[in-house]
Amino acid sequence: MKYLILTLCFFSINLTISQDLLLEAESFDDKGGWVVDPQFIEQMGSSYLQAHGMGEPVQNAQTQVNFKKNGEYKVWVRTKNWVPGEWEAPGKFQIKVNSLVLENTLGLRSGWGWEYAGAVQITNKKNTLELVDLTGFNGRCDAIYFTTSDVEPPSSMNKLATWRKTVVMEPLAPKVTKKYDLVVVGGGIAGCAAAIAAAEQGLQVALIHDRPVLGGNASSEIRVHTLGIYGNFERILKKLDTEHYPNGSPEAHKDQIKRDNNVKSYDNISLYLNWRAYDAKAVESKISYVDARQTASGERIRFEAPLFVDSTGDGWIGFWAGAKFSYGRESVDQYGEEWKEHGELWSPKQPDNAVMGSSVLWRSYEADQLEEFPEVPWAMPVARDYAKVKGEWQWEFSRNDLNQIDDAEEIRDHMLRAIYGSFGNAKKLPENANRKLEWVSYLVGKRESRRLVGDYIFTLNDAKSGRSFPDGVVEETREVDVHYQTVLEDEKNPDFISEALFYKTPKYYIPYRSLYSKNISNLFMAGRNFSTSHVGLGGPRVMRTTGQMGAAVGFAASLCKKYDVNPRDIYTGYLDEYMDLIEKQKYIPIPESKK
Amino acid sequence: MKIIIATLLFCGLGLVWTQKTDVTLNGVSQHKTLSKKPEFFALEWQEGLVLKNKPTPYFIEVETLGNQNVDILVTAQNRPVLYTVDICTPVCADGECRLMYLTLYWNLLGAYAGYDKVEGQTLTKHDHEEFLEQDYEKLHHLLMDDNSILKRKKIDELVEKPEDSELDGADAKAGATITEVKESVVDGALYSCYVAWNIAHGTIKGELQDYTTSNFDKEMKGYMLMSNEQDYQMYALKSLNDEEYIDYEDRIVQIFNKGIPLVRTYIVQNLPKLFWETEDLQMPFWESFAAVDINNRSLLLNHIQQAPVEVLVLLGGNLELMTKNQLKAYLAAIEKNEMANPQINAQLLRFTNSGNHTYAYIVAEFLEEFE
Repeated sequence: MKYLILTLCFFSINLTISQDLLLEAESFDDKGGWVVDPQFIEQMGSSYLQAHGMGEPVQNAQTQVNFKKNGEYKVWVRTKNWVPGEWEAPGKFQIKVNSLVLENTLGLRSGWGWEYAGAVQITNKKNTLELVDLTGFNGRCDAIYFTTSDVEPPSSMNKLATWRKTVVMEPLAPKVTKKYDLVVVGGGIAGCAAAIAAAEQGLQVALIHDRPVLGGNASSEIRVHTLGIYGNFERILKKLDTEHYPNGSPEAHKDQIKRDNNVKSYDNISLYLNWRAYDAKAVESKISYVDARQTASGERIRFEAPLFVDSTGDGWIGFWAGAKFSYGRESVDQYGEEWKEHGELWSPKQPDNAVMGSSVLWRSYEADQLEEFPEVPWAMPVARDYAKVKGEWQWEFSRNDLNQIDDAEEIRDHMLRAIYGSFGNAKKLPENANRKLEWVSYLVGKRESRRLVGDYIFTLNDAKSGRSFPDGVVEETREVDVHYQTVLEDEKNPDFISEALFYKTPKYYIPYRSLYSKNISNLFMAGRNFSTSHVGLGGPRVMRTTGQMGAAVGFAASLCKKYDVNPRDIYTGYLDEYMDLIEKQKYIPIPESKK
Repeated sequence: MKIIIATLLFCGLGLVWTQKTDVTLNGVSQHKTLSKKPEFFALEWQEGLVLKNKPTPYFIEVETLGNQNVDILVTAQNRPVLYTVDICTPVCADGECRLMYLTLYWNLLGAYAGYDKVEGQTLTKHDHEEFLEQDYEKLHHLLMDDNSILKRKKIDELVEKPEDSELDGADAKAGATITEVKESVVDGALYSCYVAWNIAHGTIKGELQDYTTSNFDKEMKGYMLMSNEQDYQMYALKSLNDEEYIDYEDRIVQIFNKGIPLVRTYIVQNLPKLFWETEDLQMPFWESFAAVDINNRSLLLNHIQQAPVEVLVLLGGNLELMTKNQLKAYLAAIEKNEMANPQINAQLLRFTNSGNHTYAYIVAEFLEEFE
């Protein structure tokens, strides 16, 4: 566990000396039933612990804390009430120091900030600190701050970031630097495929992923099945993909084991699970390094490489490095992507920031006995009278005032309210008396966010016409399928349910030029953040297709290394060799013994 | 339009035609006039309306049975209202074919509008049982769904369980498997439903819309704009020039207030620039702020930076309706010039002090920083 004992001078004028100790909740020794949530670091400043108990209080998280000095400490907790309103806060919890529960219940304030838990007398060096969940409904704790001073830590994001840096006295750069041939950030299907393809060609690869398991939306934590065709990369993608079980199925665990084992079997893939990139630095439009942090311990590493793959989904590496990107829907005229029959739902006359939404999947089961489910008044403004016992892909939320990246926590929380409220409604029906929630994801499964701009922007017209490209490295037969929220057509519909519009196409191709950045010279991209229009994304956003993108850039990276060139040079100077290499992937490699 | 009859695909051995009644298919419509609301109808029907059939150049081609003409239904004043066809088509399953009779209606944009049973003909299921009343209703509901799963599946994909992802090429289809088909079609009448849906939503839709477009005039524009049908409203709005936006402003404001979110969005996104430069023209839209949905409030707020102070005061009374990001947009707009406005200040204080607004803290922080 990481904690810092600090003797700081907060007030230079009156020189008040105080003893202070900041604990990051995610670094607790024993997290009990609380889960580490690193999804919203860029927005709220940190990973946090969350009591995701689906309505049943989770086991206490616990850690040992050593104090240098005895005395009375005031205890502040960074938290928030995730559904403020005229009801009891859903995510209440308490702090327990040794055997003493501090006086104030927490999780009550609107917006992330500090709540005062109470004062505690510290009389021993070694102490036990616990988080006591009271509700099982997603209480959240970012950090705990013990101080002998009377000063409340700052809540506003700007002041907090500065304060945190001061308190933890963290040097600007990570102390540890590691060098690789290729750094892949994001271990979804695209990132895994990129890492495998590059590793098979002999590159030393770092694969950085912010969860304990690989696969992103396909992982057992989110459970979307993989769709699309294998293209040239069946052998690699079969190491990573899923069976066609219903979305949300626990069968995802089986494929998870397969995927994790397969990636781990490559000696030259250095796998950084539970590491999240937080910065990328480009000098003269070339990325020098990516910095990442361990999501629980806070440890940091700087990753240097000549080449990087952004498979973060949200295009973070490109964003930090200054890569061009797009977000939202283009005007129908920008690329001529009209579908008359569905008009504005498909592509608007004026560009806007509407995008396909994010899903949170869930399921329940029929227990052998009666099962209770608490009242959830805080969920009802979202769920209204909707009553369901499971949620598939249609459980999707997007609204034009919410950015799928900046407002992802609100989007996830909206879906949690939709789920708990709809399940609560269903539980009131006699036929569901034995129903019990089995699994609700707390990870938001995104369909669309930033799209990094490459030398070529893939659009609906490429799919419609089945256009072939000299550098067509990804192929797909799946329809272009764009989602919209059904509430747009009828306000009586729940705002968290979507509908899909399918545009049938012939087999189509995505050029390699859509898989590297237009203006950052050593950046590949694979996954939903590849270079495409909003409508263009509708088809190839599924995970065998994004896996093909990953494999394609992994092989391109190997040629970049061979000739010491950048991604674009592969298209301009080494295309024949590259396409031969891609073509060869259709066939099982000849074993060394038979060569 | 050509309907590919399923006979060849599905009848197989032992093909038998069963026909309950002899019907002459000479292209003459069943109705020469339509004076009552069709039995299953998705549009509003004005009492007392009498519509006459007039021919169009369009027809539906049914293999082996020839062309079946599509008529336009017009008022006594010759104003087009609907398109219609009396359809007779074979429906085949498991080697047996039967004829299905329906009178179908489309609106002026080629969208399915409803159907009537043909006198003396009932619809039957695969086991020869006649449709019950709820089955006719269900068929109507199915036909109203222009995005039905039937649109993207071949009939053989609907009757056999897809083995794997080959058939389910989209995440959407995970839930849209046979179970969903069962939910949307009449039990025991999959083939009838499939054939009817594909006629109603076939290429004839586009042809009828093109026909309307070729006859579209000011009168029809006014009619569509005044209509409560959202696709008519949208079609008419798309045809307006800047001057007409001003001529029709009252009606456009009315649609913005009462229409569906999608049409409202089109309006706020496509209002001529002049509206945002003219206080009188934009004010009625801001006055609708409380009445419209969240998405459209955001789209209005895209114009807040240029809005006159009256708008800022007006919205100051609606802070409790705003989402977090909408509040931030509003605060950013008043930060520039209007913090000195006593009315706005009072509204902010009232909001922060009320103690029961979710995002009161954002305004409180704003006021704190401003001070």
